[in-house]
Amino acid sequence: MIGSRINRRALLAGAAAALAAPHVARAQSGGRVIVGTWGGDYQDLLKLNIADPLMAPKGIETLYDVGVAPPRKTKLLAERTSRRGSMDVACLSDIDMFEMSQLNLFEEPTEANVPNMKHVIKALAKPYALPHIYSGKVILYNPDKMTPAPRSYNDLWDPKWRGRIGFADGLYMQVIESAAMINGGSPTNFEPAKAKLMELKKLEPRVYPSNEALAAALKSEEVYATIMWLARGYMWKKGGLNLTHAVPEEGATPIIFDKAVPRNAPNKANGWAWMNAMLDPKAQLGFADRMGYVPTVTNAEIPAEIAREISFTPEQQEKFIQPNYEYIAQNNSQLLEWWTREFKG
Amino acid sequence: MALTVTAPAIGAGERRAGAGFSLGPALVIPATLLVLAFLGAPMALLFRYSLNRYSPREFMIDAVTAENYIRFFTDPYFIGVLGTTVQVAAFCTVVATLAAFPVAYLLARSQSRWKSALVIAVVFPLMVGNVVRAAGWMALLGNDGAVNAVLRWTGIVSEPVRLMYTPFAVILGIVAVVLPYMILTLQSVIESIGRDVEEAAANLGAGPMVVFRRVLLPLSLPGIIAGGTLVFILCMNAYATPVLLGGPQFKMMAPALYDQFARTTNWPFGAALAFILMASTLILTLIGTTLLARRMHHRRIDAAAR
Repeated sequence: MIGSRINRRALLAGAAAALAAPHVARAQSGGRVIVGTWGGDYQDLLKLNIADPLMAPKGIETLYDVGVAPPRKTKLLAERTSRRGSMDVACLSDIDMFEMSQLNLFEEPTEANVPNMKHVIKALAKPYALPHIYSGKVILYNPDKMTPAPRSYNDLWDPKWRGRIGFADGLYMQVIESAAMINGGSPTNFEPAKAKLMELKKLEPRVYPSNEALAAALKSEEVYATIMWLARGYMWKKGGLNLTHAVPEEGATPIIFDKAVPRNAPNKANGWAWMNAMLDPKAQLGFADRMGYVPTVTNAEIPAEIAREISFTPEQQEKFIQPNYEYIAQNNSQLLEWWTREFKG
Repeated sequence: MALTVTAPAIGAGERRAGAGFSLGPALVIPATLLVLAFLGAPMALLFRYSLNRYSPREFMIDAVTAENYIRFFTDPYFIGVLGTTVQVAAFCTVVATLAAFPVAYLLARSQSRWKSALVIAVVFPLMVGNVVRAAGWMALLGNDGAVNAVLRWTGIVSEPVRLMYTPFAVILGIVAVVLPYMILTLQSVIESIGRDVEEAAANLGAGPMVVFRRVLLPLSLPGIIAGGTLVFILCMNAYATPVLLGGPQFKMMAPALYDQFARTTNWPFGAALAFILMASTLILTLIGTTLLARRMHHRRIDAAAR
């Protein structure tokens, strides 16, 4: 009884709020922009570096559609035939963005719409999206436990580290790619990874459901090393985890976090305004400082002490393993299935 | 469902009254339309998807093929996932029934002024979402969690015991979620069994165990069937608990079908998994309730013969 009364009240309050919401939005002069994004730190930084200083003065209110990438991809797919989508800006990793772009879901950015586009690093540009931030895949390890320090992905296969290597489930493709690179594979052939990972399976690696769960395991020293983005390592270090990174001999693989404006965005103009603001040097530096991601524009210079921690030397950049999006999109389903059934199973 | 059952009754009443035009049956139209629009239509659409083909490049290709269903039934991995789901659901239902019965009995027979407070205490966990409760279990069962802290402090173990991401954690989590449903269902049935029936049995020389086995248990069988059905369906479809407490290695049907939709973007196969889960839940529930109901019927006949 009490339960139902509370529920009814909550329901009424919720309905009232839902009815009131559009009016609040309409009161803003520049309208609103809906950004489909990850939550947590990333969302905080979007607010701090883009929404508050660059969008709010234009009278544009930013609303966030928060979630991890898979439901966002599902939403884009589900809405693809409707005239009005639910997002003005969609944030995805380069791999996911390519997969979605194959279905022709996004508007092509132009300099007329996004003037700051001219500063984008050419190697990161693509026709269907704009790069927001980037980092590279490295080995993160506990320097007190892992001696000698790992230099290659192969060092994680050492029986000495039985049960001490941990992975985040979401980074399955990155782990598969790493294993492929040390077993004769290439960016267009991850098949050799399978045998190599089955070898590792005998050494009982741990797979955690999220990056946060992996961080907790690194912190409690349940595991000593992982394969992860350098930027996340930087954040974890700042958060007090005892970690160091090694750029693997095989070469780091860059990861770019892209943003795109869906073809059925309810307010494209504001979507483009948001895309332009995210390329602003000040906004870019904010992400470098707190999250350790490297700017994607040529006109944002990061302070030397941060650059040392988060960027790659020209030699390391020379050795970057460039992902082949086409291959990954074609094989994602098959590799994820293998990962779930054979490696984790 | 309930409305379609009541409709003929209303209609019958009208006919008896001899009225020409009856509004009664029309009353079910709004609810029927709602169900058709918001349950029937999406399910029909989903079923249509399950007959399509998946393509990484084009996402979904229109087709009429049973290959998604064939793939499921010819793949030991997915049969294993369904097997795990059924086992976990059955086990949790049994554990929940065993754990709920004494509490339900106590509540039903309680004359205490605290009775309503106890009922609220049972209902209270339902006000907290499954995800929040799973987060609570994570804090208790993690390597740095409360349970391990106690075990290490008392010197029972020196290294933390792995409790999270195990089937044990999932079963514990699911039982905690479904327990209130079972207790409340059993309580209402036990309350309807007169105390005098138990007293009569005791007067005739039956000990407490015999009273339980020969009187209380058979009479509360309808409650066990209803509660068991409800709980089994909830367990079969559990999502948050297995994902959060079972970890990436533990697979039940609901998380597996979510993976197909969201991670592999294979909607046709995901849709097929959804229908297989629904069908197997329905079939197993029907088998279970039929068997128990038949048992109940036999007991009644036995009792009548005596």
